[in-house]
Amino acid sequence: MVREASWSDVRVESTGARREGTAATMSARDVRLGFGSVTVMEDITVDLPPGSITALVGPSGSGKTTFLRSLNRMNDKVRSFWSEGEILLDGQEIHGRDVDPLVLRRRVGMVFQRPNPFPMSIQDNVVAGVRAHRMARRSAMRDIAETRLAEVGLWSAVADRLDDSPFRLSGGQQQLLCLARALAVEPEVLLLDEPTSSLDPRSTEAVEELVRRLTPGITVVVVTHNLAQARRLSDNTVLFYQGRLVESGPTSQLFGRPSRPETARYLGGDADPAVLA
Amino acid sequence: MVTAVAAAVPLGALLAAVAVLLVEALPAIRYDGWHFLTGSAWRPGNYYGNPVRTGGVLHPVGASYGALPLILGTLESSVIAVIVAFPVAVGAAVLVVEKLPRRIAGAVGFCLEVLAGIPSVVFGLWGVLSFGPWLARDVYPALTHLPNVPPLDIFHGPVGAGEGLLTSGLVLAAMIVPIIAATTRDLLRQVPETTKEGADALGMTHAEAFRAVQVRWVRTGVLGALVLGLGRALGETIALALVSGTVLSSATSIYGTMTTVAATIVSLLDSAQTDPTGLAVRALAEAALVLLVITLAVNVGARVLVRRSARGAALPIGAGF
Repeated sequence: MVREASWSDVRVESTGARREGTAATMSARDVRLGFGSVTVMEDITVDLPPGSITALVGPSGSGKTTFLRSLNRMNDKVRSFWSEGEILLDGQEIHGRDVDPLVLRRRVGMVFQRPNPFPMSIQDNVVAGVRAHRMARRSAMRDIAETRLAEVGLWSAVADRLDDSPFRLSGGQQQLLCLARALAVEPEVLLLDEPTSSLDPRSTEAVEELVRRLTPGITVVVVTHNLAQARRLSDNTVLFYQGRLVESGPTSQLFGRPSRPETARYLGGDADPAVLA
Repeated sequence: MVTAVAAAVPLGALLAAVAVLLVEALPAIRYDGWHFLTGSAWRPGNYYGNPVRTGGVLHPVGASYGALPLILGTLESSVIAVIVAFPVAVGAAVLVVEKLPRRIAGAVGFCLEVLAGIPSVVFGLWGVLSFGPWLARDVYPALTHLPNVPPLDIFHGPVGAGEGLLTSGLVLAAMIVPIIAATTRDLLRQVPETTKEGADALGMTHAEAFRAVQVRWVRTGVLGALVLGLGRALGETIALALVSGTVLSSATSIYGTMTTVAATIVSLLDSAQTDPTGLAVRALAEAALVLLVITLAVNVGARVLVRRSARGAALPIGAGF
């Protein structure tokens, strides 16, 4: 078991347009998570370096989504959920008494498996968070919407129908809209829970391309079932199995020269969870 | 073929209802003319004298039918019912779905469904025996102390014995709260968890998320539920026959006795059948026709409203009411 994952030596190259922002570091120290009497994850110690893309991989039920959702305390609402250990955002414990979960979620944004636009116009969707947090004046909303839609590459497709329902967009466009919505509140970390699993290959490519463009202005953590995606998208990879961290490190290392045989077997194309047993 | 027949049944039933009422009411329509909608006196005339013929319609001497008090009473009591019931019902639904622990919410929901199924005569008896007298004794006197400024000045005046417009409105409100509440609750439950999570993930407060997601998701459907309730209130018969006071005149104050179209029909039909010319029954049929038209107008109006609001709500296809 690799207890301590560290890749502070990894330098993330800027690709394409740099994004303004202050990427934050997240790290987990001896994290244990569970629901009621069931422990879902334990012994999780990992660093998510600023401005990098970290892929969380592992078979279904390995706990990667639960872990992701505890990084912005989305599990708080789930009854009987508990967590131990430390989860740090720029060195600050996110469960601390002085941490407002609402502020935390603004700093650590999230995009979900399926596009989940709000039942309001496309423009209102983009600025929903901005409006709720009163981050800008009413008159600035249209400009913000344009900036964010342009950032995710959706502007030309929706410029003439900002007041239309988002539900007439394609699934891929809806997901990009949700990314624009998450980016509009200027998060320092972006959590992506299988963001392309319901999308077609072209939309998937658009999302991946966007995520690459967002770094190093923002720290990205992405849960994916798609090992090829993890390999081509992420700087670092974390492999979970049955609630434990098997191995973590630079993606090229995990896929090329894994230090554990389970990693080799799982990432080596044979994705049958049984090989890890 | 079968589907065509099945599809034609509702339309056919509606047309048949209109046609039957129209045929039944025709002599009264010819006799009363527009006076039926503007007149305030409901006079069957002298059944025991020799009937006379006016404009080809045989009628008792002195017969004159003006349904304005009935129509006003119907609209007034229903509007009061909706104004009172709507916030209560929507509040209850929000409480059940968003705030109460699951087990209590289930119990409250069960009660709502049982309430919706209570026969209206039970509501009427409760209103006339218990609720009305209590209101007149303990509640209405307090209302008369409200500031004497519009619109609160409508609560000034003699409170009566507990039968009348406000009591009718409140009994109707009690009857339609379960309908609106149950529908609103079901609509709120349909809001996808993942959309709510999207709002949470932006760091919105519970209230902000509720406004951004749930309110927009359900408001079209809630409007539909409101119309459902209004329809029930407009057509409610027996409860109002018991608590309205059934006088054939408009309420002189918000506490005043009054009647509605439906209550009048049920309370006058017996005596109307003793009219040897049959005109009294025809007049009641005409009243029923007016009620049907009001109900249809409300439904069509609501449909237009719902459609307009649905266009603005940007809901996914198939969501909502």
